[in-house]
Amino acid sequence: MVFNSYTFVVFFIVILFLHNLPLSWRVKKINLLAASYIFYAAWNPPFILLLWLSTVVDFFVGKALYTQENPHKKKLLLVISLIGNLGMLCFFKYGTFLLDNFVSLCHLVGFNFHPATPNIILPAGISFYTFTTLCYTIDMYKKRSEPVKSMLDFSLFVTFFPHLVAGPIVRPPQLVPQFESPRVASRKQMMDGLLLLTLGLFMKVVLADSMLSDTADTVFDAHDALPMLDAWIGVFAFSGQIFLDFAGYSTCAIGVALCLGFVLPQNFNYPYAAIGFSDFWRRWHITLSSWLRDYLYIPLGGNRHGKTRTYFALMMTMLLGGLWHGANWTFVAWGGLHGIYLWVEKYYKDRKNIDNPKGIIDENSQWVGFFYAFLTFMLVNVTWVFFRSDTFGKAWRLLCAMSGFASGDKALLTTLAILKVAIIIPLILLCHWVMRNTKVLDVAHKISWVWLSLVWSFLLLAIIFAQESGSSFIYFQF
Amino acid sequence: MNEKSLFKSAMVTLVIVVGVVLGYELYLRNQGVSVDYDDGPPLWADKRAQIYGPTDKTIVFIGSSRIKYDLDRGTWRRLTTAEPVQLAMEGTCPRPVLTDLANDPNFKGKLVIDVTEGLFFNMAPPFMETANENIKYYYDRTPAQRVSFEINKLLESKFVFLDKDFLSTNARLEALQIPSRPGVFMMPTFPMNFKRNTFGRQAYMTDRFVVNEAERNQVKAIWGFFAKMAMSAPPMPPAAFDAIFKSVKADIDKIKARGGQVVFVRTPSSGVYLQGENMGFPREKFWNRLLAETQCPGIHFMDYPAMAHFDCPELSHLKKADAKLFTKEFFRLLSQKPGFTFLQNTNPKKL
Repeated sequence: MVFNSYTFVVFFIVILFLHNLPLSWRVKKINLLAASYIFYAAWNPPFILLLWLSTVVDFFVGKALYTQENPHKKKLLLVISLIGNLGMLCFFKYGTFLLDNFVSLCHLVGFNFHPATPNIILPAGISFYTFTTLCYTIDMYKKRSEPVKSMLDFSLFVTFFPHLVAGPIVRPPQLVPQFESPRVASRKQMMDGLLLLTLGLFMKVVLADSMLSDTADTVFDAHDALPMLDAWIGVFAFSGQIFLDFAGYSTCAIGVALCLGFVLPQNFNYPYAAIGFSDFWRRWHITLSSWLRDYLYIPLGGNRHGKTRTYFALMMTMLLGGLWHGANWTFVAWGGLHGIYLWVEKYYKDRKNIDNPKGIIDENSQWVGFFYAFLTFMLVNVTWVFFRSDTFGKAWRLLCAMSGFASGDKALLTTLAILKVAIIIPLILLCHWVMRNTKVLDVAHKISWVWLSLVWSFLLLAIIFAQESGSSFIYFQF
Repeated sequence: MNEKSLFKSAMVTLVIVVGVVLGYELYLRNQGVSVDYDDGPPLWADKRAQIYGPTDKTIVFIGSSRIKYDLDRGTWRRLTTAEPVQLAMEGTCPRPVLTDLANDPNFKGKLVIDVTEGLFFNMAPPFMETANENIKYYYDRTPAQRVSFEINKLLESKFVFLDKDFLSTNARLEALQIPSRPGVFMMPTFPMNFKRNTFGRQAYMTDRFVVNEAERNQVKAIWGFFAKMAMSAPPMPPAAFDAIFKSVKADIDKIKARGGQVVFVRTPSSGVYLQGENMGFPREKFWNRLLAETQCPGIHFMDYPAMAHFDCPELSHLKKADAKLFTKEFFRLLSQKPGFTFLQNTNPKKL
């Protein structure tokens, strides 16, 4: 089920009604769990078995990991959990990719191998809930937190529908304690939640789907060489689309949870106002970045074992982070390019002794800060070319067109498409820059109620008149 | 702003939104805008799921836009209890749908294929796109999408402003027809009165369109635009046509082997459009060969005086009043074709 559908509107009203009935907390939690399974099954019912399997295995393995004192048995349990979780992810997400690469390798060494093409359907959100359960068992292994006492709470932690399919990726201490005591949204939470839900839907339905997606698709699916203008407009369109789509989903998820009285972690913090790439990754998909930092970058050595190890850990984290997004070498290249950016930035910062982006703004004027943010945005755009292109050939063609080295002369985009991008993208940049140190709810609470009513009405009316319900979110495929 | 005042904003927002939406709805109704159903993949998939009805109670129609305009469901229902399942698509080659039905072992029923030569004998991918998208949607649709479709159906039946093709923000922006750089392909926009769609997927032009010369000329110009595009494309080699005939025959043979029956129909066009079609797709080389190779009966509008006289308002589709006459005559002819004679005993008045 997607947030931008009529089904969800009805589903959400029913859930809100049930959640506000004078029932015991346990019954309400069972309601939420059942609703979460329905939310997931509404996409493809059989895959709910995977979710159950993952939940049951990790609940018991997590408990055993925490209480087991024998280091060998403990390691064995961890391996079982890793094989269970990553094995499932590998099969469903990377099965075809691994087979294709194996076949290519066979052909490279002269072995003629032609296996049947597997028809594997990717279960929605498998990358997200795998990371959710994985961090739990690793935390249990390291005794970072206490095991969840009840199966009901653990199931709800894994399955809670607002975060289930596309995050934010939650850690046990962030959500499990919220299930331990009764929660119903206060009027403030309810209103805040509804405002966030409206904003998220506006970002997704109106801006990403209605205004930008067609332009991005047209340019990235083009077969001929494009003029420089068309190439850049297409990449800007995707840059806006991917942010609005994913941040829109996260905003909806946080808003929906808030309406039920639960607080989910922030996932985006105006990333296109980032100054530099470490700042970008502190603002883009924050829960994934922090997950990768804690469960990959630090175990790989982090920054505590010398510079060479730091650079290695950084690159490995970005490469694997890229691969997490999709089973294609273009995603690895996307991660690798970000890794290189981070290397360069780290090298520069180490030389100049700059600690954080705030230093740059404090030391220089706001205009210089904006210049750095704009530069970061432009370089991030280059990485999106690899993220969105399904082959290196297409990515290369587009990069050539963007650079002007091999641009075509056959114009592709209509003036209307160009205008949409030329208006929306600068507005996003401006909005991110102005809002970079604040939060949308803080602003909503500060402005006058008349202005808020007008803005809120505009968002809702734009959603209604866009008439674009039903398309799935880009990150569902990851 | 405190907690109370955010609630106040929410309430004012609700009032504004409800007021604007209802005001807009009333304005559109006052302008004579009627209910229209979005003819996207969910509606098509809903009809696609209906092809498995009893073979003497279900007639499946595939083709392009003409059969959608020309087959009047109301008239059909007065003539027979057999359900017309409309799977034709505007501006689309029906062959992918034919292949889909041929490859569906559960489809053993009666099939009518509407032939608009320029689309039927076309191999360009853009003319297959909608068909392939709709077929994919039918097989992939989720339980949530089915529920959304039912809710959407209810809303679309009540609100005329829910019209994605003409009243969505994007449609309004497209209608501005902002000029583009030379060489950029701009999809022409049809007048709203030309394209209304019922829940049964019957398309019709409104009476306003029929009497509005400017709008009729606008659509004629669009046909001219597409004809010019087709003429500028490289001609299809004879081998490509041979391949089309071969694939159509193979698909039809599969349906027949399961006990299914197929009839071709050439629906009316008129004026210079018809002249162009006759020149580009001579009857003996296309229509006659199609019937001969597939061994299927056919109904060509030119062969029957009751059908041959229609004057299409924009050269390619019948107005509603003519669609009723056409449907009556078409039904009479269809019910005489092998495999379709059972239709003679399905008149609701006689039953």
